[in-house]
Amino acid sequence: MSRYMADYKEAPLASRPKTLDPAEYFNLSPEYRRAEEERAAIRARLKRQYQMQLNNPLRKELIEDPALTRWTYARVHVLPNFKATPKTSLLGGLFGVFPLFALYFLFSSDRNKKEQQIKDGTYQRPYRLSY
Amino acid sequence: MRLSRALTTNTEGREGASRVAPLLSSGVSKGSLPGPYPQTPEERAAAAKKYNLRLEDYQPYPDDGKGYGDYPMLPNRSQQERDPWYSWDHPDLRRNWGESMHWDFDMYTRNRVDTSPSPVDWSTMSKTLLGYLGFMLLMFGLGEVFPMYQPVMPKQYPYNDLYLERGGDPEKQPKPVKHYEI
Repeated sequence: MSRYMADYKEAPLASRPKTLDPAEYFNLSPEYRRAEEERAAIRARLKRQYQMQLNNPLRKELIEDPALTRWTYARVHVLPNFKATPKTSLLGGLFGVFPLFALYFLFSSDRNKKEQQIKDGTYQRPYRLSY
Repeated sequence: MRLSRALTTNTEGREGASRVAPLLSSGVSKGSLPGPYPQTPEERAAAAKKYNLRLEDYQPYPDDGKGYGDYPMLPNRSQQERDPWYSWDHPDLRRNWGESMHWDFDMYTRNRVDTSPSPVDWSTMSKTLLGYLGFMLLMFGLGEVFPMYQPVMPKQYPYNDLYLERGGDPEKQPKPVKHYEI
């Protein structure tokens, strides 16, 4: 297995690191460069905002991260964006409704069978009830 | 009145939106929280700006009712894959301040799921593992079918197989037991 970028073959279901991506090095189009510059500009703006807050000698409170706030808000407020489509109904039925009834019937039938065996006297107790 | 209205879940009077009014006690402004799926290009642009993404990079989750809203769909890569030598604002999380977090960010931390490429490719990995497991199973199976052990015999005791010690009658003559052949 050679160590060169040209010979690198990534494992399935895995990614190629950005530093080994040939699109980063060869035949860079102006659009690609502009896109990267825009991304770098956004990154730089956020970094500056953070550093200004971090190194502010008059700051007494914690630095609040709006991206974190948005993430927690989004993770919590899933219900307002929920729609009852066939797919979501199927998933809800498959994972919520079906196991409920299936497990109820499974457990109740198993225990009724055991109860009947105890009443008939054919049940072999694995452990003693008392000594 | 404004504070009490903000503290209760008010969903009327807002067209199209079914979201809870944010509490005014925090520093967040109303437009900066996640909302419903963007329908118009203006909403898309506003959402891309809100999440600090380029308009071309912003891709919300498909609107199939699973509850994502306008949250961006970021590539499913773990934090372990990110450059360890770059000066991140939060080096342990390998994340910068203000950067949009993946929906499954808590799953993709470095302690948990890792999507890094493996050193060897999948076919070699699976061949090695299954080959080893198969070989061990085969050999253990063969060992059950064809057992091999040191040849042993029942233990030979003297004095006619310990006739007297085993409670034999001292008057009677025991059966002579010969453990050897000449």
